Amino acid sequence: MIAAPAMLSSVLALAEGPLDAHAAPELRWAGLALLLPLASSVLCLLCGWLKVRSKLPAALTIAALGGAFATILRLQGTVGETPVVVNLFDWIDLTWGDGSRFHGFTANVDLYIDRLTVFWMLFVTGLGTLIALYASEYMESDVGKGYTRFFGAVSIFLFAMGCLVMGGNLVMLYLGWEGVGLASYLLIGYYFTKPEAVAAAKKAFIVNRIGDLGLALALFLIWQCYGTVEYAALWKAIEAAPASSEWTAQAIPWLLMLGAFGKSAQLPLYVWLPDAMEGPTPVSALIHAATMVTAGVYLIARMFPLFVVNPDALAAVAWVGGLTALLAATIGMAQYDMKRIWAYSTISQLGYMFLGLGVGTTFGASYHVFTHAFFKALLFLTAGAVMHGFAGQLDIRKLSGLLKVPGFRLVSVLAVLGCFWLAAFPFTAAFFSKDEILVSAFTAKDDRVHLLGWIGLLVAALTAYYTFRVCFRVFFGPVKFEPGHELHGHDDHDHAHDAHAHHGEFHPHGPRWAIRVPLVLIAIGAILAGWPSYRTMLHHDESNWVKTQVAQSSAFQGVAAESHGSLDGHAASSHASAHTEDAHADHGHLVLGMDAHTAVGRLGSLACIVGILVSLYVHLINRGTADALRRTLMGTVATRWIVVGAERKWMVDEFYDWVIRLPLRVIANILSAIDELLLDAGIVNGIGALPAAVGRVFRPLYGGVVQGYAVTMAGGVALVAAWVIWIWLRGAN
Amino acid sequence: MGDLDLAAGSELNMNLIWASILIPVATAAVIAVANARAARGLAAVGSLASLGALAAFAWQFPAWSTGGVSPEPGGCAWIASINATLGIGFDSVSLLLALLEALLIPICVIGSWSAITDRQREYYGWFMLLHASILLAFAARDVLLFYVGYEFTLVPLLFIIAIWGGPERRQAAHKLFLYTFLGSLFFLGSILFVGWQHHASTGLWSWDMGTLSSFASTRLPANTQYWLFAALLAGFAVKVPLFPVHTWLPLAHNQAPTAGSVILAGTLLKLGTYGIFRLALPMAPEGGAALAVFAAVLCTVAVIYAALICWVQTDAKKLVAYSSVSHLGICMLGLFALNPIGAQGSVLYMINHGLSTGALFLLIGMAYERYHVKDMDQIGGLAKRMPVWAFFMVFFTMSSIGLPGLNGFVGEYLCLFGTYIATGDASTKYPGLLGPGFALVAGTGLILGAMYMLLLVGRYVFGPLREPKADSHGKHGHDGSHGHDAHGADHGDHDGHGDLTGREVGLLVPLALVCLFIGIYPKPILQAIGPVVERTLAPYPAAVERALMSKPQATEAVQAQAKEDDRG
Repeated sequence: MIAAPAMLSSVLALAEGPLDAHAAPELRWAGLALLLPLASSVLCLLCGWLKVRSKLPAALTIAALGGAFATILRLQGTVGETPVVVNLFDWIDLTWGDGSRFHGFTANVDLYIDRLTVFWMLFVTGLGTLIALYASEYMESDVGKGYTRFFGAVSIFLFAMGCLVMGGNLVMLYLGWEGVGLASYLLIGYYFTKPEAVAAAKKAFIVNRIGDLGLALALFLIWQCYGTVEYAALWKAIEAAPASSEWTAQAIPWLLMLGAFGKSAQLPLYVWLPDAMEGPTPVSALIHAATMVTAGVYLIARMFPLFVVNPDALAAVAWVGGLTALLAATIGMAQYDMKRIWAYSTISQLGYMFLGLGVGTTFGASYHVFTHAFFKALLFLTAGAVMHGFAGQLDIRKLSGLLKVPGFRLVSVLAVLGCFWLAAFPFTAAFFSKDEILVSAFTAKDDRVHLLGWIGLLVAALTAYYTFRVCFRVFFGPVKFEPGHELHGHDDHDHAHDAHAHHGEFHPHGPRWAIRVPLVLIAIGAILAGWPSYRTMLHHDESNWVKTQVAQSSAFQGVAAESHGSLDGHAASSHASAHTEDAHADHGHLVLGMDAHTAVGRLGSLACIVGILVSLYVHLINRGTADALRRTLMGTVATRWIVVGAERKWMVDEFYDWVIRLPLRVIANILSAIDELLLDAGIVNGIGALPAAVGRVFRPLYGGVVQGYAVTMAGGVALVAAWVIWIWLRGAN
Repeated sequence: MGDLDLAAGSELNMNLIWASILIPVATAAVIAVANARAARGLAAVGSLASLGALAAFAWQFPAWSTGGVSPEPGGCAWIASINATLGIGFDSVSLLLALLEALLIPICVIGSWSAITDRQREYYGWFMLLHASILLAFAARDVLLFYVGYEFTLVPLLFIIAIWGGPERRQAAHKLFLYTFLGSLFFLGSILFVGWQHHASTGLWSWDMGTLSSFASTRLPANTQYWLFAALLAGFAVKVPLFPVHTWLPLAHNQAPTAGSVILAGTLLKLGTYGIFRLALPMAPEGGAALAVFAAVLCTVAVIYAALICWVQTDAKKLVAYSSVSHLGICMLGLFALNPIGAQGSVLYMINHGLSTGALFLLIGMAYERYHVKDMDQIGGLAKRMPVWAFFMVFFTMSSIGLPGLNGFVGEYLCLFGTYIATGDASTKYPGLLGPGFALVAGTGLILGAMYMLLLVGRYVFGPLREPKADSHGKHGHDGSHGHDAHGADHGDHDGHGDLTGREVGLLVPLALVCLFIGIYPKPILQAIGPVVERTLAPYPAAVERALMSKPQATEAVQAQAKEDDRG
């Protein structure tokens, strides 16, 4: 709370500066980024209606997503330091009274375009296009079956994600927020005859809904405090009325946080993401690793002006992120399904991003989102290529030495490359982005988060270990593999792959160009993502592209709060507020006697290399030791819980089941019984039994049917009379 | 508006409204004497003509879209001695609900073509009368006329359930009749009381809604208004239905034939919410302000209570039936927020609920026609057999659980929003009595709604295919499901279990398009509703202020009393 005034002053500076958005109707074409995916989803629906049995839906989707990417590229050239608001059409626009503030509620279909928007959309649409291309081959066994449904849902996803990122108000964001939830639901449940897939889809939607409720309530609160939910007006309102200490203003970040944790799979709402791996692998890569799950990071970065005024909320974000990173890493170490390991690593990496947000470096968090998007997509897509070629096999105990399997060399090389990135090997892009976050954790003004720097370093070692566990098991070592049982989990076993299996020898088939090209391009992207940092390092040039993109947006506070590195351009110079000076004072923060930056760089490298070396010994040089270690740990009661806990995901799912779902189910059954027996049969007919004697008198006159009327009517009268008496008693007081 | 309305125009619009009400009556008369096989065609033509007349009215006389009433109050005498008139006219709220009714009726009629095979003349005849009486209730500007339409709906509905319903149809029909009839007695008593008071005070009889509302709200003392509101609420609560007088609804829904459920959920329940909006709120603002919290508590309980019950249902139709109780809880909560956001959301919610729940009942009926089973323990995974049906199921489920971009979201969101901001704070001009607590608790309905609806979809639509043994197959007519011989070749005994026919798709597409339209561009509807809502709520800020003021005073009085007691 002490830092709040300083932070506020920079909020004030921010609002009168480059964030003073202006309307730009000439940029309406930017709406194409939303319109094209929407059109493609409608066309896919049409294809489904016409029973198209070709790859046309894929072609349509790729073209539309490519178009959206081109639109965003052009926007990147156009958009300046000033955010612009583009009104597409009016959606919800209510006014009453004199129509002034608090006498109206506006949430139109507006686009709010600043550099952060464009930055996020660049990798969303770019990766979306590439992954759609990949999926066009990956899903080809479903041509004529679910193919159109798949691409229709992918298009809906890109449309919704566009609304989420580009929307000009929080209701648009909410539209996209729930829209990506729908796409996720449809795609996780793609193999809808599989009960696990249906259950996973349902779980994802419901757990997300819990977060969505937080987001919805946050919207109400924001309107109640500031009278608007449109970004442009909101920044102005914050400027005009610095956040009060009333509970309403203080509660906003907590509720937003809940929404972000749901969508981005953080504690306590992360449980849906591992199960989401039931979806086809391209979906896991696109939605559940690279793009959708970063929406929570976007939300907090975008709404950062509401967070800076509440250091407690920021500390909570940091701690939730750090603990999630740790928990997910421990689970990831003990899993055997390659996709699930990558899923837990996604949760863990997202934890880093929230840690970054919590310690104030929106730049570090956004940069990590960016680098992570590429290498995690690469890892998932290579996993998918393996799965595709080995008839659904994902168990890392049953795959070995793929580097030497013909047709899989490129895939394996790229996967190994991806592993280096995920492990944040020194001088990879992820190394720099993680570095930013950990340095900020060590140097943050808030003492409560310094410990998280150490936790982050520990997680870095664990990450390196489990990443290379997969790498050494699957891609190195002697060639040995067992095919899986299923064909991409689909229930129709009428495909040529099974014919292979029947003929004794299994021949894994390598991917063709539509899978290889996106893989190579994404790998290049992963390497290039480090470019801004290489420039900084080699040329001592502080003008980091990502930093510029993030700085010229509402996430600016984070950059200002950061301890080192001044911004290029006028963003930094014109906002050299007292706050930035504070930040520079922190620069002298020492870790193990070293400057924080040097220390984190060295310790991070060390953690990574130690993790890899342990993995190298246990999983490649002497593969027996891992099993021996597991046996030893299992052997004594004192250590048994470690193995069992990690392998069974610390029983969090079971815990929720027992503590929340089961009691709720019991209550629901009781209520159902009450409704049928007590309210209905009991009260209505029970009270009705009193005048039944009266009814008997009249029975000869009207017959049984009318008696039934009388009985029930009397019961109803009694009920309503009781109600009225109750109201009367209440009124009388 | 008065100067714009030429005499000729006024007559035409009056005639169009009467045409939309009387065409179904005439159709019923023709059906009664016509060939039984022609009944369904006649009913379809009659209901479409009625829709056409109403649409023509809406198109020709757009006064409603800016908050006006058309035609102007007044109408020919009906019972001259007490000055009851045949006053009809629409404003945006009543017209939108009437349009919903007129849209649903042809869908119900054509949807019944394959489901109803016996006593067709009676069935379609009763349906036409039901339609006419619902339209009459929405169109009425005279409370007695409203009462006639409101009350007469019971008769056709009773027959429709009691003759063409499920195995427990008798019980369902009795319960429906008694509950709602009893409710209407409260309602009738209240309006007779107000009319009598008006006569006693001014010496004139009047039953015009506007006149009585302004009289009751300004001239009746607060205590009387309290009782008036309580009685009207008691009357309409049964119809809505509010917890705990909802127990007739699940049974009635479950036993009614598909079309009966569609109309019941679609517009009959809306007569209750419309009654509260149109009569209870404007007539007794003091009572409304005093009882808003009480009603809101009932609504909130209903949201969670019914949602949890939905969650453990295995019967698909019963699940959707209970969901109505939960949904209407949110709808009424928005109304009792007593601010424009909540009330506009509430009116929109009435329409949305009719569309999406109506469509869900229709879809469940379509599957029922094929399998004669609604129990999800026996049937499931139908997406494999009926992908088009599955598409619509998912679509309307999403509409029902308020996915943004579809209709449900806008209404639900505004209802909760309105509830949230309904605090004592006067900066919005409309102070309220609810606030964040209510919104938070009712907001869990968003989560619970997703839980039970996705349970329905997950078991009934998705998952492994589970079909009952083809036992009852062939006993009932399957007019709608022939033309699937190609499937029959593949699936042996499953012919007749094919996907939706063109007729069925044709019924669902208009509903889906309206859902999409409202979701994407609700502006014209909200703009039309806005002024009416503001007019209805006009006396409320002052009344709520008084209610807010009286609360602390009451507590102070209690405290003072307690102090005195201590001393004594």
